[in-house]
Amino acid sequence: MKGLHVIGVSHAYGDTQVLNSVSMMIPAGELVCLLGPSGSGKTTLLRLAAGLERLQHGQILINDQVVADAHMHVPPEGRGIGLMFQDYALFPHLSIIENVTFGLFGQPKDKARRHAMEMLDQVGMTAHAENHPHMLSGGQQQRVALARALAPEPNLLLLDEPFSGLDTNMRGQIREETQSVLKASGVATVMVTHDPEEAMFMADWIKILGNNGSILQSGRPHEIYYHPQHEFVAKLFGLMNRFVGVVKDGYVEIPIGKVGAKGMDDGRRVEVLVRPEGVLLESNGANGAPLDVVSTHLLGHDNIVRVRLTADNVAPEERNLYVRIHHTFEPELSKRITADVEADYAFIFPLDGAGDVAEASYASTPQPEAAK
Amino acid sequence: MVELTPSFLMDYESLDKEHQALADIVNLVVEAIDGDDAGKCKTLLPEFVKAAKRHFANEEALLVKIGYPNVKKHQKHHRSLNTKMDHMIEFANMAGENQLARDSLRRELVFFLMDDIITTDMDFKAFIEEKAKTGEA
Repeated sequence: MKGLHVIGVSHAYGDTQVLNSVSMMIPAGELVCLLGPSGSGKTTLLRLAAGLERLQHGQILINDQVVADAHMHVPPEGRGIGLMFQDYALFPHLSIIENVTFGLFGQPKDKARRHAMEMLDQVGMTAHAENHPHMLSGGQQQRVALARALAPEPNLLLLDEPFSGLDTNMRGQIREETQSVLKASGVATVMVTHDPEEAMFMADWIKILGNNGSILQSGRPHEIYYHPQHEFVAKLFGLMNRFVGVVKDGYVEIPIGKVGAKGMDDGRRVEVLVRPEGVLLESNGANGAPLDVVSTHLLGHDNIVRVRLTADNVAPEERNLYVRIHHTFEPELSKRITADVEADYAFIFPLDGAGDVAEASYASTPQPEAAK
Repeated sequence: MVELTPSFLMDYESLDKEHQALADIVNLVVEAIDGDDAGKCKTLLPEFVKAAKRHFANEEALLVKIGYPNVKKHQKHHRSLNTKMDHMIEFANMAGENQLARDSLRRELVFFLMDDIITTDMDFKAFIEEKAKTGEA
């Protein structure tokens, strides 16, 4: 099958195991992001696929051809891959068109130049063909790097943090353009990033690598965000409000409501993680948990509000919450504000680490005694 | 179309047969979508899900029988696939009328079979091979 096939790959640097039996299949035309913290092995996996490191254990195939296993190693230039790095890696002494034609060796010069110009056209850089890299902005250099990587029509494209050198505005634009060019090319693409938002934006599928060097979860961005299977995955996407509770009659009571814990045994001690957008604030709410607003922080498109639950029976470590609100938030001092939980953003994990995440479901309107 | 080339074989007859049976259903779905008969997906997907769940149960029983040390992890992985299968059923139900549902279903299903099911099973291929040598599998 066309694409990248990684089977049971393990890799260590000395005594440090960085990849632990990783397997994945990336069909042609799909873009998969490897997302994980520093040291989770994502760049090592990319380098192994590229042939920049020798494989110690497992097997790697590109378009059904074995390119690496414990006994053989096809060098990078024999794998039909395109590479794109954070620092663009353009040759400073070559013009833009020469940079793009560099990988087209073996082709007649005219044909290579014509093809390179077509690639530059795809990324909107034909006007800069005779310039040198130092004359271009970071975003323009990244466009050229993409054209150069795709020009030889690779079987597989490997991107290592390709947008991290760009400023925020440029990053958004370039990644959108890159995604569009990659989709049109139909090449299987693996992108390494530590930025969850970038992975959500770019990927058809995301694979989360944990600190133990194994894949913790794999799925569509929506699935990873709304159905995290591990506490680690849930926490990757930023701030979390954490509560501890016990499953009773299929629910867990937390200070801001009740969350369904389908499939978990009664009496089980669990932690409940609630995303800031899963805490709903209401003015003059009848049943929610009463609170004081501590501070609001406008982030442009939304607000992060820090609140403090005021009911007497709330544990000190569960009083302070983060709330995300997608509109301007100006609390009216005269009104009582309360908090409620939105179950789509609440995730339950057993504290003994032995079981699955429960599928959270909202227990209708929380009972007043449960919310206090 | 999906073809189980050698790197997708477990070299264990019953598992390979079940993977092939799943691939056959995936190919019927792809054919139905390409042949302008996507309404068929509504009946094919439940068939796929049923076959997948049967495969998971058979595989788990085998792994328990031969003492595979990571059997719990694999069982957990199987359970985590339920949400994906629910989504694909939704796409299949809409495939007759909706182009986006057809496109999503085709891509999801191929990825699901090749990555989530077969490639993940490769984790215990070597273990099964060892057990087969001693007659335990």
